[in-house]
Amino acid sequence: MPSSLSSGDGLRIIETEPISKQAVVINGLPDVGLVGLLAASHIVRSLTLREVGAIESELLPPLIVLHGGVPKAPVRFFSGSGLVVIIAETVIPSALIRPLANSLIDWASAKSVKLMLSLGGMAVPNRQDIEVPKVFAALSAKTVEPLLNGAADILEEGYIVGAYGLLLQKCAQASIPAITLLTQSHYNYPDPEAAAAALNVVNRILGLHVDTSDLLKRGEEIRLRSKDMMHRTHEEMTRMNKSHEYDLPPLYG
Amino acid sequence: MNLLSASQRSETQPHLSSGWNVLAACIQPLYNLFVTAKEVVLTVDLPYVKQKGVKLSFPTHDSIEVYAETSKKITFKDLGIKHRHGEFTYYHAIIPMPVPVNERKAAKKFKGGLLEVHIPRK
Repeated sequence: MPSSLSSGDGLRIIETEPISKQAVVINGLPDVGLVGLLAASHIVRSLTLREVGAIESELLPPLIVLHGGVPKAPVRFFSGSGLVVIIAETVIPSALIRPLANSLIDWASAKSVKLMLSLGGMAVPNRQDIEVPKVFAALSAKTVEPLLNGAADILEEGYIVGAYGLLLQKCAQASIPAITLLTQSHYNYPDPEAAAAALNVVNRILGLHVDTSDLLKRGEEIRLRSKDMMHRTHEEMTRMNKSHEYDLPPLYG
Repeated sequence: MNLLSASQRSETQPHLSSGWNVLAACIQPLYNLFVTAKEVVLTVDLPYVKQKGVKLSFPTHDSIEVYAETSKKITFKDLGIKHRHGEFTYYHAIIPMPVPVNERKAAKKFKGGLLEVHIPRK
């Protein structure tokens, strides 16, 4: 029987199958270049993870996604191989970001999550001239650095706008180890190459062997198929002032 | 000069909220504009397009028209969608210029299905 965790914000995390404790959680929410969504979807497909839960909220658009003729919630949890992967197939509205972050942290605390790994993009204007996108890591605490295995450069200064910023802060407050990986990418074009670069770092951090060649081989198809999702994500990024990420923080330490 | 006939343009412009125009066999591409002190930089994402398939024009002094033929017919089925029918053979967009530009000095480059056009400001 499904169990659920409700927050005061009317958001519910529904487990259709029990999700084991002490898992590594990978977040693949739509963001810059759809890097996280493409990378996380690839992990789900490659490791044939099982669908084990979903998020329901009045703040989500009233829609379902059909896969294999079966209706699915647009924000779903997949599990297997010690991982829980969270994927959103719709744009997360700004109004949902705080309730989502609060609920995920409550849920992650209850599940004694071992590591919260969020995958996103970092837009660079000369992306088309970069052969292998670089990956940067923002950490919830200095003590998390050994988990990184030197796989990415640490982001020391800057802003992170959106769900990943809040998640990182709340993980720090709740003492949940968290890493946000930001990969150089196009801003508003789906970027499967950046997703592959992010996955290579995930492989190194978690000791996985997810093959990224299919992401590269099917790059054009993925770009075209994700075009509409990217368009809607771009609109939401504009609403939440995502460009703030390119500002310099005024204080120096 | 317009790259499409008037009837084609009327089909490819107003309804493009979905980005897929089955009647005109046309896809509206994702694009981005950057304005610097000296130029406007337009980028357009054009998967399945080769450099020779790209045509640019300036139908008015304050807009640029991008027409790009795909290297193969693209169907919804190719993209895993079975309940919709239609095939697409080109991308098309008319993009307003945010500032006055010198369109005669526009320079383009194309790499990995990404078009980049530099247009000096007036």
